[in-house]
Amino acid sequence: METIRQTQKKYASIAIFVAITAGLVLILAGLRPFGKGFILGTLFSIINFILIGETIPMKIGSTKKKSVWISLGSIYFRYIILAVPLFLAIKMEDFNLIAVVAGIFSVQLIILVDNLFIQSKQR
Amino acid sequence: MILDIQTWVHVAAFVGAGLSIGLGATGAAVGEGYTAAKANFAISRKPEMAGDIFKTMLVGQAVAESASIFALVIAMILLFTEFSADSCIIIPVLLASGLCMGFGAIGSGIGAGYPAGAACEGMARQPAMSGRLTTNMLIGSAVCQTTSIYALVTSLILIYLDFSVRPLSPTWAAVMGAGFASGIGAIGSGIGEGLVAESACAGIARQPSTAAPVTNMMLLGQAVTETTAIYGLLVSFIMMFKVFPASDSIASSMALLGAGLCMGIGALGPGIGEGITARGAVKWIARNESSSASTIRVMLVGQAVSESTGIYALVISLVLIFVI
Repeated sequence: METIRQTQKKYASIAIFVAITAGLVLILAGLRPFGKGFILGTLFSIINFILIGETIPMKIGSTKKKSVWISLGSIYFRYIILAVPLFLAIKMEDFNLIAVVAGIFSVQLIILVDNLFIQSKQR
Repeated sequence: MILDIQTWVHVAAFVGAGLSIGLGATGAAVGEGYTAAKANFAISRKPEMAGDIFKTMLVGQAVAESASIFALVIAMILLFTEFSADSCIIIPVLLASGLCMGFGAIGSGIGAGYPAGAACEGMARQPAMSGRLTTNMLIGSAVCQTTSIYALVTSLILIYLDFSVRPLSPTWAAVMGAGFASGIGAIGSGIGEGLVAESACAGIARQPSTAAPVTNMMLLGQAVTETTAIYGLLVSFIMMFKVFPASDSIASSMALLGAGLCMGIGALGPGIGEGITARGAVKWIARNESSSASTIRVMLVGQAVSESTGIYALVISLVLIFVI
């Protein structure tokens, strides 16, 4: 489990750094709803990523059928959480919907950039 | 109970949202479950690699579920946006949008689970290649997501394009057809691309020296596998952007609905079939790199033949749209 924690810590800290930096730049550039939306989306993206890691031990040691059911339950639970920033963005003008959606995918984008461009060059 | 247009708009939005996230999450769950099942096998084979296998599973699952997050975004837009009830056309538009995204996320979710599972398994077989396996898995999974992006684009166009100025009949059938063509059409390719990426991860683990040609072959195989999803997108774009003249006849509406269904269902088989063909090619290149030229030739011919049924569906769809 330590490796999972390390991975979560690594990507979550990069995501927070990117969100705060990009958010501040956008806010200073006068695009306040975009900046706030991106930070909000990224925060929930990190929560989702941490929750994926927390459900992994439940899936391991299960049969294929049970793994699928645990995955389905886990997905629906996490999506209720991911729905919160989307709901806020749709209902409140303080948060831009596109920026929130971009923020929700920030952890995935960081994983791709890290593995495809940074780590592959190091190898 | 009063059933005015506004009520039906709400009903369509709620049903569309349910279909979007309900169908969309199913694909990701199957993919994630498959990955976890393979991780079980890998850990039992090499318990000392459990940490790395967990890590790969975590990263793989995070990327694999992107398609279902698209479905969540569409569901939330449908649930919480106030849509105008000026015209009845918004009712099929909202339904089509949800259906399109829901179906479109199934293939990508299932497909992206295959390379993640194979990467976990490969790590147990070839621990030294874990970095390369993760990279290949992520490339393969990312390509799998493109078909769901087509469905996302179609859903967003359906939601935000103004159809209210067009005649209700046959536009209702055109928008539903567009949703079916792009959504169902994305399933086969998403699964097929996953099969190719799975084979590439397994091949790299089996024969690390072939990593570069195997990855290239994977990308070529996935590119061809994706073409039927592009046909679906093409047909849906034609149906969304072409303005059809008003018609009281049910025949013209049924022709457009049929065109969408024809292309969507017609793309299912070729998408999976081409993926199976490319999976075989990638597998054998990993085992015998010297036969690459012949293997690529056979793969492309096999995929072309498999694709022909998708082309028949495309032709019939175009006939239904432009001739009938």
